[in-house]
Amino acid sequence: MNKMDTSFPTVINGPLHADRRHDSAHKHVAGSADYIDDMPEPSGMLHAAIGMTDRAHAIITSMDLSAVESAPGVVAVLTAKDFPVNDVSSAHKHDEPVLTDKLVEFHGQPAFVVIAETRAAARQAARRARIEYEDLPAILSVAEAKAAGGKFVTEPLTLKRGDADTALAQAPKRIKGQMEVGGQEHFYLEGHISIAIPGEDDEMTIWASTQHPSEIQHMVAHVLEVPSNAVTVFVRRMGGGFGGKETQGNQFAAIAAVAARKLKRAIKIRLDRDEDMTATGKRHDFVIDYDLGFDEDGRIHGVKAEFAARCGFSADLSGPVTDRALFHVDNAYFYPHVEVKSLPLKTNTVSNTAFRGFGGPQGCVGAERFMEEIAYALGKDPLDVRMANFYGEPGSDRVLTPYHQTVEDNIMPRLVAELAEKTDYRKRREEIIAFNKSSRVIRKGIALTPVKFGISFTMTAFNQAGALVHVYQDGSIHLNHGGTEMGQGLYTKVAQVIADCFQVDLDRVKITATTTGKVPNTSATAASSGTDLNGMAAYDAARQIKERLVAFAADKWKVPEADVEFLPNRVRVGTDIIPFPDFINQAYFARIQLSAAGFYKTPEIHWNRATGQGRPFYYFSYGASVSEVSVDTLTGEYIVNRADVLHDVGHSLNPAIDKGQVEGGFIQGMGWLTTEELWWDGKGRLRTHAPSTYKIPLASDKPEIFNVELAEWSVNKLPTIGRSKAVGEPPLVLPISVVEAISMAVASVADYRQCPRIDTPTTPERVLMAIERLKTA
Amino acid sequence: MSYSISLTVNGDQRRVELDDPRVTLLDLLRERLDLTGTKKGCDRGQCGACTVLVDGRRVNSCLSLAVTLDGADITTIEGLADGDTLHPVQAAFIEHDGFQCGYCTPGQIMSAVGLISEGHAGEDPERVREGMSGNLCRCAAYHGITEAVIDATRRMAETSERKSA
Amino acid sequence: MYETNYHRASSVDEAAQLMGNAGEGKYLAGGMTLIATMKQRLAAPSDLIDLRHIGSMKGITVNGRNVTIGAGTSHYDVASSDALKAVCPALCSLASHIGDPHVRHMGTIGGSVANDDPAADYPSAVLALNMTVKTNKREIAADDFFVGMFETALEEGEIIVSFSFEAPDKAAYQKFPNPASRYAMAGVFVAKKGSDVRVAVTGAGSNGVFRHQGMEAALKAAWAPDALAAVSVDAGMMMADIHGNSDYRANLVKVMAKRAVAAAG
Repeated sequence: MNKMDTSFPTVINGPLHADRRHDSAHKHVAGSADYIDDMPEPSGMLHAAIGMTDRAHAIITSMDLSAVESAPGVVAVLTAKDFPVNDVSSAHKHDEPVLTDKLVEFHGQPAFVVIAETRAAARQAARRARIEYEDLPAILSVAEAKAAGGKFVTEPLTLKRGDADTALAQAPKRIKGQMEVGGQEHFYLEGHISIAIPGEDDEMTIWASTQHPSEIQHMVAHVLEVPSNAVTVFVRRMGGGFGGKETQGNQFAAIAAVAARKLKRAIKIRLDRDEDMTATGKRHDFVIDYDLGFDEDGRIHGVKAEFAARCGFSADLSGPVTDRALFHVDNAYFYPHVEVKSLPLKTNTVSNTAFRGFGGPQGCVGAERFMEEIAYALGKDPLDVRMANFYGEPGSDRVLTPYHQTVEDNIMPRLVAELAEKTDYRKRREEIIAFNKSSRVIRKGIALTPVKFGISFTMTAFNQAGALVHVYQDGSIHLNHGGTEMGQGLYTKVAQVIADCFQVDLDRVKITATTTGKVPNTSATAASSGTDLNGMAAYDAARQIKERLVAFAADKWKVPEADVEFLPNRVRVGTDIIPFPDFINQAYFARIQLSAAGFYKTPEIHWNRATGQGRPFYYFSYGASVSEVSVDTLTGEYIVNRADVLHDVGHSLNPAIDKGQVEGGFIQGMGWLTTEELWWDGKGRLRTHAPSTYKIPLASDKPEIFNVELAEWSVNKLPTIGRSKAVGEPPLVLPISVVEAISMAVASVADYRQCPRIDTPTTPERVLMAIERLKTA
Repeated sequence: MSYSISLTVNGDQRRVELDDPRVTLLDLLRERLDLTGTKKGCDRGQCGACTVLVDGRRVNSCLSLAVTLDGADITTIEGLADGDTLHPVQAAFIEHDGFQCGYCTPGQIMSAVGLISEGHAGEDPERVREGMSGNLCRCAAYHGITEAVIDATRRMAETSERKSA
Repeated sequence: MYETNYHRASSVDEAAQLMGNAGEGKYLAGGMTLIATMKQRLAAPSDLIDLRHIGSMKGITVNGRNVTIGAGTSHYDVASSDALKAVCPALCSLASHIGDPHVRHMGTIGGSVANDDPAADYPSAVLALNMTVKTNKREIAADDFFVGMFETALEEGEIIVSFSFEAPDKAAYQKFPNPASRYAMAGVFVAKKGSDVRVAVTGAGSNGVFRHQGMEAALKAAWAPDALAAVSVDAGMMMADIHGNSDYRANLVKVMAKRAVAAAG
């Protein structure tokens, strides 16, 4: 074919930077997208159920499982003794047994496993155990942990720059305060599940609902005492993860694997909803103590703060989570002198874990409380205080973070100015203040809050990724990478990268289930890094194949390499135009390798935890939101009348998907900050272990008016994939504006003279209490 | 004791023997009839992931005992499309990005079909959101879900007007 | 493993007879509570007697101002009955805010009232509308029906067949729903018929649904929200749980009562 064929499109279907539907969209609406519990079951498969303890802190004195063993359908009962390596600590601190047979460290900690012919039989049998305990004193909260001397699950961190003590002593104004920030249950609609299928020799295949297949692989190998090469882990998609499936699946995969090895049968374990809520970790709740020094203009001189977290009984990810809280204690603000430290406290509660934002949102909530305190103390619009404290332009003397990284990409002033302008923030605030003067029962509030979020794993080694790309003889492409799909659209975006590289329509790229057998040594799909890392790794694989193809074409057609061009669904070689499949077929017969493993590691980053200095983040993402609320001062009820978001995702790879992430993140964050209350009773029992007691947002909780826009002018200054930016976590921080708008409405009852200091979640009861407190003050 | 019931599932007559009357419709669909499109989220009637239509009305299949439904007409997500042609609600969910992880989607769609046939919400966003309040979406794709339901309501009304015209 | 037997009753008499023969039998109405508790093994009946297919227990009849609602009528059918809306829209509104749409399609008024959950909505309507509860054995006056939390005047095996009442002149129900479950954290049903006023409170009392004499007296004197200003609600009578303490509930009761009077017009 030598002439231009007009049947070729001018652009491919599904290039970079274009709206594309989620790759499984059709399957999702047809009900044909398989989650692990939907897959056909291997013959002879058995079902596992966990047996839980019911003490927060105790020694098991006896465990009588005879009635469990004799229950109908039961095939085996496993205890700690069946686990020669009884350890699934992702922090490698050996503080997390798969099953406990002695020390109980939280209410619900699994003590045994029942294997039965059906899931119902296993679950019913598990209730027949008789366990005797000797109770020990339980430490349940941050306050109790501190009062008892504050045992840590992992090393605390201090970030320090300048001389905070002197700055505080010399500052014209000073405020001390405390804030409690609640935790959050992930409530992924698909609960934890693992299937283990024993193979020949020492082999084990695992299907797990996990964000971290490589860690499941390592943990299963660890408990089975086999090398990693014996274990292969698969996951095609999850029904939500949100961080809850970063480490928390280890235990269940280990249980399934050990039972499968022992019984030589496939084993499925799927937790019941209340078991999942009781036995798996959540977002860390914090108590923040702060000491602020500032001047009449609202500018901060010095900050000292302590971030104490309820970590639960084991380290898990509490180290990096509490570190990230400190990395975000500045949010968008420059602190001339600062000293902040984390207290990762051990408690007799379930071990808290990753949750979208990973401590960062809690840090930001603290920073925004600082701004609010200063604004009320000075009688200023909080937005003015915020703007006075923003990081400066690159090159100015206000660009250094508490961890000594220079902020080089600050777009916050422009972004906030645009949002304030677009939403008429100033005018609406004036109108609301006027409204509140004459309204007896209903009070309104409005607030604009920013988010600056650091992108990269703070553990530098985790910032690497691999991908595997095959081009088959018919020109169809097989794509695999280390990232996992949990609804965020990662598979779609990475497929767009490949389609764009080869200039072929997106439907020519087959996206395949994530597996440790194709791409090894991957990091968790976490830290918002999925697209940044895996997109670049896939790009690298495509680049290698393309280079070989270009060399082949230049050689065969005798043209310079610059004369080989990938056009939509075809290749131009000199003046020849060859359809992509034909071109690939010719390359195959010329014995060109049409497969490549790609790799990427984030450049420039480094971090020294001992000195608290470095460049942990490759770049920052920015965003801001304005929220307006109405509060009923008789009941504390409130509604979000309107929310406007302007968010930075750099040059978006897929604006439709990114916008969905921002919208969803905002509402999920709003749930965390307003309605989602975790409640442990005096015995350490989680009482909010079902959707009937734990309130996550519904369709009817969406702001009445909800405008989400991406900052279309933003382009990542650094060479990320397509100059885009990460999107997963930062939007969760946006709805701090809702909390602060509620706060303003409450403050109106005392003429805005006092910062209401409402803890989160801002339940109606808490709001009403704050109103009463201010009225009587 | 064994119970024999007959159901119409997505238009097909199914005769089922139950050896335990406590089997829920959800478990019957997923484990016996291989209809895994209906999802198990909370298994106690609080999340809506298991929504199906029973005699045209949306219910939580996890809180319905199969044995009580002898003679009932059941529609699940698998029975909605007409061959390769998606139901208007399914098509609208794709068009408006009414999902992320997709796990709640079959329940959302069945609930939307029920809501539209109940006819109380119309195209009023607030009533649609209220009418969809039995279905949790943890990814919080509520913006797209609401838009999709309104759009499908409109399209279905236009289609039925054309048919009756 | 325990066994459960299932029986589909085709008449009220047959249901009662089946219950008489059962060991630990339970009637199955909508099943919205029973099936959930069975799953948690909080209930383990030997026999389930299905009332859902008894035609005579379903439907709403309105005769002038006289209303009769079959116990097997779903919340959805109560909420969307035009005949009922014409004489007592407050009851339709109450039904339309129970749980979520799915629950409203399955759950029934009889099941809800017989279960007498202290946070259920219907018991307040039964009391405030002075309903007569008709069972397979007798008629029970509303004031005699509710005994305490999850405890009614129903005898073992007794089945509620219907509810009847004369529509009030004015009525309204307002609740502060628990945000997660949508059960009432405080729900107040007010009704005025001639000079008689009844105020029933659900979700808040430490002993289940109750009438509030103080508010009734105040509203008899003057039917207006502000008439309630001076009435005190005793926090000591309120329940406290993970969703709210007793002071908060006492406050909510008063606010909901005022809203209800305002809504009733």
